[in-house]
Amino acid sequence: MFALVSRCKPMSHWLTKGDWLVLTAALLLIPGLYAAYWHGGGQGLEARVWVDGKPWARLDLFHVQHLDVPGVLGVSHLEIGNGQVRFTDSPCLNRQCIHTGWLSEGGDVAACLPNRVSVQIMADDPRFDSINF
Amino acid sequence: MKRSLPLAALLVVTLLTACTPRPPVYQEQLLTFGTMVDVTLWNVDEVRGRQAVATLARDFEYMHDAWHAWHRGPLGRVNQLLPTGEFFSCPPSIVPLIRRSSELSEASGGLFNPAIGQLIRLWGFASDEAPKGPPPVPEAIRALLAQNPQMSDLQLDGIQLRSRNPAVRLDFGAFAKGYAIDRAIEQLRELGIDNAIVNAGGDLRAIGRHGERPWRIGIRHPRQPGMLASVDVEGDESVFTSGDYERYFDYDGKRYQHIIDPRSGYPAEGLSSVTVFAPRADVADAAATAITVAGPDSAAWLPVARALGVTGVMLVDTEGRVQMTPSLRERIYFDVEPRPDVRFSEPL
Repeated sequence: MFALVSRCKPMSHWLTKGDWLVLTAALLLIPGLYAAYWHGGGQGLEARVWVDGKPWARLDLFHVQHLDVPGVLGVSHLEIGNGQVRFTDSPCLNRQCIHTGWLSEGGDVAACLPNRVSVQIMADDPRFDSINF
Repeated sequence: MKRSLPLAALLVVTLLTACTPRPPVYQEQLLTFGTMVDVTLWNVDEVRGRQAVATLARDFEYMHDAWHAWHRGPLGRVNQLLPTGEFFSCPPSIVPLIRRSSELSEASGGLFNPAIGQLIRLWGFASDEAPKGPPPVPEAIRALLAQNPQMSDLQLDGIQLRSRNPAVRLDFGAFAKGYAIDRAIEQLRELGIDNAIVNAGGDLRAIGRHGERPWRIGIRHPRQPGMLASVDVEGDESVFTSGDYERYFDYDGKRYQHIIDPRSGYPAEGLSSVTVFAPRADVADAAATAITVAGPDSAAWLPVARALGVTGVMLVDTEGRVQMTPSLRERIYFDVEPRPDVRFSEPL
């Protein structure tokens, strides 16, 4: 391999000025693309809310808000902000949706089954494909 | 021009690679089977994904209606007829559940016991909503325990069924979810889908992989928001967790969880969560219950895990201490700081 390389002409001999221009532009693009498309290992940016199995809303997790979601039994309350979402109230008896607490990881999910309201964190490349509990 | 040829070829190949679309991942949630079922399919487009999940939804709805212990339906009818002691025609959809759960009950030494339907109902855990308490009176619990209902009391001859013990009532709550997930995976395979996760209420079976990498599973912390640990799964493996946080009621400062110890008649104590790894979901489901009943002493739970043929167990006790089988040593990555105190059991 080394013998083969040593017999080849140096790289600068077979690259034109145009080639160098393209290569330099490509290298300069890398940091920008990294910043634009890499979200730190699947941290969610958006949550989706379903009511009775149908899509109900898409939420920007960095837009601080409190949301009332009308379910089949009554209203479930969601709190959103700082890349997280959680149930703060729901018309169920066992309150498991509220005990689940804040969700922030891509793929994580909470549901108020009696009220048939669920919320899931979406991410392009979620850290987890599925959550066990 | 000639001199630029190698670089141009390299750039074309690189650009073509970059343009190759990522195989689609289809994900859909269903509110069915009394829980949330989350289906994830790798390299399946939306049209095919929708069709596959619609098929699963129909199956889950049917199984939920058929297998409820106290609703009007096939299992409800079986429970009405069992106390007569006479042979009757068992609905065909119930027969395989009885056969399979009897095998698992025997292997668990009776710690997984679907014959204690009356006890589960007495505690209020048979309804869709969790009970508020108070606990049943001790005399009622003792009276049911004295009758000692077991799966071995059932006599199944073809589809003819009878119970030699009038106290037997079947409740497949600790098994039906696993059995249903196994059927869903079979259905997906018949549809030509070999890379998938079916997650029902947090318990899952994963087949194949997510393209170039395994499936990544987060295991939720039993006592705080967020994840306790993560694990990679590929090939064909089920991950089931039973926890005292799932269905319970607090009464007079004491927590009563939904898993009833068939020996004492009272809810199992000592463990916050039990996570079981097994090839089949029905085994993982039954084992998670049996190991929760066995309790935190490895001398009690390890023989049960071995007898049921599970491949890994992780326990979190009520003090937050973790025990696990050595088979999980290189697989489980803890996501919490400080890392929990982990003790390894004897090998399975």
